[in-house]
Amino acid sequence: MKRYFQGATIVSLLAGLGSVASAEGYTLGISNTVQGNGWREEMVCAMKAQALDSGKVDSLNIAHRNTDAAGQLEDIRNLVEAGVDAIVLNPSNSEGVNSAIEEAIAKGIVVVAVDQAVTAPGAYILSNNQEEYAYLGAKWLFEQVGGSGDIVYMRGAAGAGADDDRDRGFKRALEEFPDINIVHEVFTGWQQDQGKQQILDYLATGLPVDGVWTSGIDNVIVDAFVESDAPLVPIVGADNAGFVGQLATVDGLVGAAVTNPGSIGGAGVTLALQILDGDMPESNTVLVDPAIWANNDPAGMALIEGAQNPNLDPEWPVSVSIPGWTTYTTEEIIACKGPGE
Amino acid sequence: MTRLISKQGWVLGLLAFLALLFVLTTVIQPDFGISGLDSLSRATLPFAFATAGMAVVVIAGGIDLSVASMMAVAGVSAAVLMDGAGGGGTVLAVVGVLAIGLAMGAINGAAIVYTRVPDIVVTLAMLFVWEGVALLILKAPGGAATPWLRELIVGNVIFPWLPRSFVFLVVCVAVIWIPLSRSRLGLSIYAIGSNELAAYRSGVSVGLTRIAAYAVCGLFAALGGLTLTMSTGIGEPIPGPYLMASVAAVVLGGVVLGGGRGALLGPIIAVFILRLVRMDLTLASVDPNVTTIVEGTIMVVVVMLGGVLAMKGRKT
Repeated sequence: MKRYFQGATIVSLLAGLGSVASAEGYTLGISNTVQGNGWREEMVCAMKAQALDSGKVDSLNIAHRNTDAAGQLEDIRNLVEAGVDAIVLNPSNSEGVNSAIEEAIAKGIVVVAVDQAVTAPGAYILSNNQEEYAYLGAKWLFEQVGGSGDIVYMRGAAGAGADDDRDRGFKRALEEFPDINIVHEVFTGWQQDQGKQQILDYLATGLPVDGVWTSGIDNVIVDAFVESDAPLVPIVGADNAGFVGQLATVDGLVGAAVTNPGSIGGAGVTLALQILDGDMPESNTVLVDPAIWANNDPAGMALIEGAQNPNLDPEWPVSVSIPGWTTYTTEEIIACKGPGE
Repeated sequence: MTRLISKQGWVLGLLAFLALLFVLTTVIQPDFGISGLDSLSRATLPFAFATAGMAVVVIAGGIDLSVASMMAVAGVSAAVLMDGAGGGGTVLAVVGVLAIGLAMGAINGAAIVYTRVPDIVVTLAMLFVWEGVALLILKAPGGAATPWLRELIVGNVIFPWLPRSFVFLVVCVAVIWIPLSRSRLGLSIYAIGSNELAAYRSGVSVGLTRIAAYAVCGLFAALGGLTLTMSTGIGEPIPGPYLMASVAAVVLGGVVLGGGRGALLGPIIAVFILRLVRMDLTLASVDPNVTTIVEGTIMVVVVMLGGVLAMKGRKT
């Protein structure tokens, strides 16, 4: 048995696990359930950069993989076992992970949900307003096509909480424009390749299209129109670097980017650290409202031009920081390094 | 004793590996204890049921790629049926969900047997069919789970270190698998997986046995979906990461992918190993992008090691 223990200790030392965290700084846990998506990668990098920049975090435990609510329950419980002081998570949906969040709060761990809300009492929420996100873009689009026309509706992932919230906002705008006709509704799964293939398939049919609303899979849609020599129509996307670049440079493209900052992850880290330091927010919920940047509006175009950043990955949102909430520099978030890395 | 070791060698090896992992866990996190065991056991539930279902069809010489989608259908059905249901309603809902599982599995099996299209193609197609059905039942996460049913997998029972979720798993699997494996049907499942022609010539009804094996897989998938709803309290229409994980655990658990050999104990221990590895990597705050590499590497190494040991054993 002694040899067993020796062996195990050596294994753990080899893996660099032997280091004991110093007593001063905090240990933060992060839980995210979508991997390989530009928006989520920016969110995780914002969390790392903010944790490093704050100087208050000794180590980050990151559970970052593609999974469902049950998998996130497992991740949150593992973070609790790891003895973290606070958990910042992007919940896979608003109710499914409540039981683990409640267990964490019962153990004195601060829980901050970013991007989407959770209903667990005691959890702090710093969320982008997804319903408003869809409403703003859809309303702009329907106005652009003169209140009547054929719209292609390119949603996110079927069954995802955020997609459902956005669908509510989209439908709300649709009710205001009874002459708008949704000719095609698809789920891109928030995957670039899938969304591009879907719009290419649609364009190949030669059916009419007067405008396209996308749930953030945007630059590849513009690419598809350009590559297939189809006349450009108004397109709504998110403030992803690639699409914002196209809004400024592609001839004849009329479009609008709706902001949906992935840097909300960094803001979540700031909020968690404030609470750990005893600085409680006035309300448990802080909603970040989106803005719309249209390239046929001078004010919108000014924002679009100001946001150009060729160093960013085209799938990353250009709003890499949130004033008042994040303190890292653009270089730091692109480097994507957390404490101890 | 020697006979036990040679017969259950793989399972004993897995148990030793699991014990080693527990030791490693306490080295990484000295506070690891009752709540850790409970977390581990609860996380294991959906994976264990998916793996049990997959193991049965693999033993029968098949594969079921639709297992995660069937779990999604069962999970959303349970959440919809239990929403606002009382005590009696909940029991009916559970029975209904299990029946739906059996029916889905039987449909998979019947499609394979009667169309003669390879199982991998049929179940791949059914993966999409069941995914769509789940979205038709519930287009976004929703529904509810009855609180007393959820309590069945929370906390411990008899001993502080014995999680209820573990007892739930053992009881469900034992109630289905022990009578089945000792019955004529169980023998037939092994027989068609081992050698279909020989089984046929011995009077086994190959088609019906295959349908039954898929139905049992559907039943386990329904239990898996039910545990998803029990642990989250809602139904989620998007299938979780249970397909690949179940194939991995089946292989790691010593079930031969060609069929005819293995049982459920090994694969379920393998599920615990894979979940504990995930827990250890989180406890040790290993880079999440490295985590999946480590998980995959452990699987390949263990299976290769097993192959080498088996070959050595055959020589002596």
